[in-house]
Amino acid sequence: MNSPSSPQAGEGEPAPELLQLMLFISGASPASTRSVRRLRDLCDRHCPSGYDLKIVDIYQQPEVVASRGVLAVPTLIKERPLPVRVLIGDFTDEPRVLAALGLPTSKDN
Amino acid sequence: MVANEGVHVGGGGRRLMLPKSPTGIAGFDEVTVGGLPTGRPTLVSGPPGSGKSLFAVQFLVYGAVCCAEPGVFLGFEASRADLVADVSALGIDLDGLEQDGRLLVDTQSMGREALETGEWDLEALMVRLSWAVEKIGAKRVAIDSLEGLFAAFGSNPAVIRSELLRLFGWLRDQGLTTVITGERGGDTLARHGMEEYLSDCVVLLDHRVVDEVATRRLRVLKYRGSMHGRNEYPFLIGPDGLEVMPITSLGLAGQVSNERVSTGVAGLDEMLGGQGVFRASSVLVSGTSGTGKTTIAASFADAACRRGESVLFFSFEESEAEVVRNMASVSLDLAGWIERGLLHFHCERPTTLGLEDHLASMRRLVERVAPTLVVIDPVSSLSRGSSVLDVSAMLMRQIYYLKAAGITAVMTALNEGRGELERTEMSISSLVDTWLLAITIADTGERNRGLYVLKSRGMAHSNQVREFLLSDQGVRLVPVFIGPEGVLTGSARAAQEAAERAVELGLGQEASELAKALEHRRKAVETHVDSLRADFGAEESLSQRLIATSKAHQDALRRGRLEQGRQRTETPGADR
Repeated sequence: MNSPSSPQAGEGEPAPELLQLMLFISGASPASTRSVRRLRDLCDRHCPSGYDLKIVDIYQQPEVVASRGVLAVPTLIKERPLPVRVLIGDFTDEPRVLAALGLPTSKDN
Repeated sequence: MVANEGVHVGGGGRRLMLPKSPTGIAGFDEVTVGGLPTGRPTLVSGPPGSGKSLFAVQFLVYGAVCCAEPGVFLGFEASRADLVADVSALGIDLDGLEQDGRLLVDTQSMGREALETGEWDLEALMVRLSWAVEKIGAKRVAIDSLEGLFAAFGSNPAVIRSELLRLFGWLRDQGLTTVITGERGGDTLARHGMEEYLSDCVVLLDHRVVDEVATRRLRVLKYRGSMHGRNEYPFLIGPDGLEVMPITSLGLAGQVSNERVSTGVAGLDEMLGGQGVFRASSVLVSGTSGTGKTTIAASFADAACRRGESVLFFSFEESEAEVVRNMASVSLDLAGWIERGLLHFHCERPTTLGLEDHLASMRRLVERVAPTLVVIDPVSSLSRGSSVLDVSAMLMRQIYYLKAAGITAVMTALNEGRGELERTEMSISSLVDTWLLAITIADTGERNRGLYVLKSRGMAHSNQVREFLLSDQGVRLVPVFIGPEGVLTGSARAAQEAAERAVELGLGQEASELAKALEHRRKAVETHVDSLRADFGAEESLSQRLIATSKAHQDALRRGRLEQGRQRTETPGADR
């Protein structure tokens, strides 16, 4: 599920850390599918540098749900770069998602 | 699943009892007649620090250890390490239980609020819970607490509410006996309006501080389909965790004793049918200050020690040394009994502990000392910092506890102020078997002590007031003088008694004078009779002499005539 990463190494600047995401969804429900599609679309548009998205089906890996302290679906955990942020919801509020993930609000920026 | 069938409710016919799961919380299972509803959710509601989490943990641990019902703890309040440390102080080894597979602790302290980006549901929570339940075959679940959960999703409580209802529906479907803790909201029970759905059983915990004394209370607000105690019960968090002290747990089925024990007060036994009070009964001595309540109580103690029995004396106002000294002034040698190990004192400021702690500490001492008589002097001081209602409830439990243990209880109660003479003391006077009222009778410039027996169940008892005398010769009751001028005590009684004696004396004198006069008269009459008799004697002798003379004369005359005749008949020649 990993998108190809292509870090843009700027001169004299440390390479920005790869965006690592973990998404918890409830099986193959239409809502889950919609959420995954929406997130991918959003990341593709606003994070051309690439990102790492792990998708966890809560029914398949309940122990991960417990260990990561997930209660709601969909839940998105931004693990890198720090700080860790937890987002719940189906990503319809795009500006909030972008802000939380530290992505520019427009791909032009 | 171990389900307590509960007790059979009175009335006709057999009734299907709701299956119940015991919590192992001392007293609570009695209040709820068996525990929490099996397979249903129960809301335990209370402010922070009221013992909700502990309730939940104890419920799970008891199930895991004693009922073979594994449990899942889902905590949103404390971290796992904190929780383990907190309950280990109560001897609960969460880690060990978890290793045995009897418990599963899933804690999550909700840090920041999650950012909402759209629609969501709590499916993950349900998955997480069902995974845990399946993993250990759990029968019990505790969720601690609703607030912790809601804190994570503050912005959309409506979603949480509907999601939680779904969760509880699932818990019901799974037949999981569940405890959900929640804080008490402003007007509603649980501030999120969950109670409607959770109203199978709602337990309220409270932690009130009244006049600087903290008291924990528990109340079962609702219990659908089951009888339960409806009162507010004090509870405490003791060395073994939560401990509820319900009145009902003791019931009224105790054995009764027909044995009578002396009160130790001369004259009081006589007032109580001549034999004193029943063993294992409760005696209340009430009265205003300085009426001799403590002395009466100490007399009971002294009498018990004389019988070689052990006594536990709770003194809430005086120190041991003070009581011993003061009682020595009325010839009650308590020090001797203490030395011989029969009398045990426990002196404590009533405000040192909360009420429920008092009760617990009393019980611990009673268990250790195993007395046959317990003195609580005075019970009224316990009400300092607590409401009268609390104290009466606490005393009620104490009375029944002691009664069940076969221990005679003597309590003193200070009657404050100038209220009604027979004002119900702490509302416990109806509970006690024998109620002595110590009064002061203030009249004619002095105060005297008096004692009534207001009631004494199951025995004939005097309806009269006795004067209660405290002196260096001991304690005794004397009958008061009841005359046309009313009840007299003290010097008035003494004066009246003296007056009576004087009157008696006066009457005696009169009689003896009369007797003397009579004697005198008798003597006079006798003298008169003697003299008459003497006169008569003289007359008689005279008369008899005269009679004799006259008779002799007659005889002489007759003899003379005969002589003449003889002489005539003899011839002259016949003269020889």
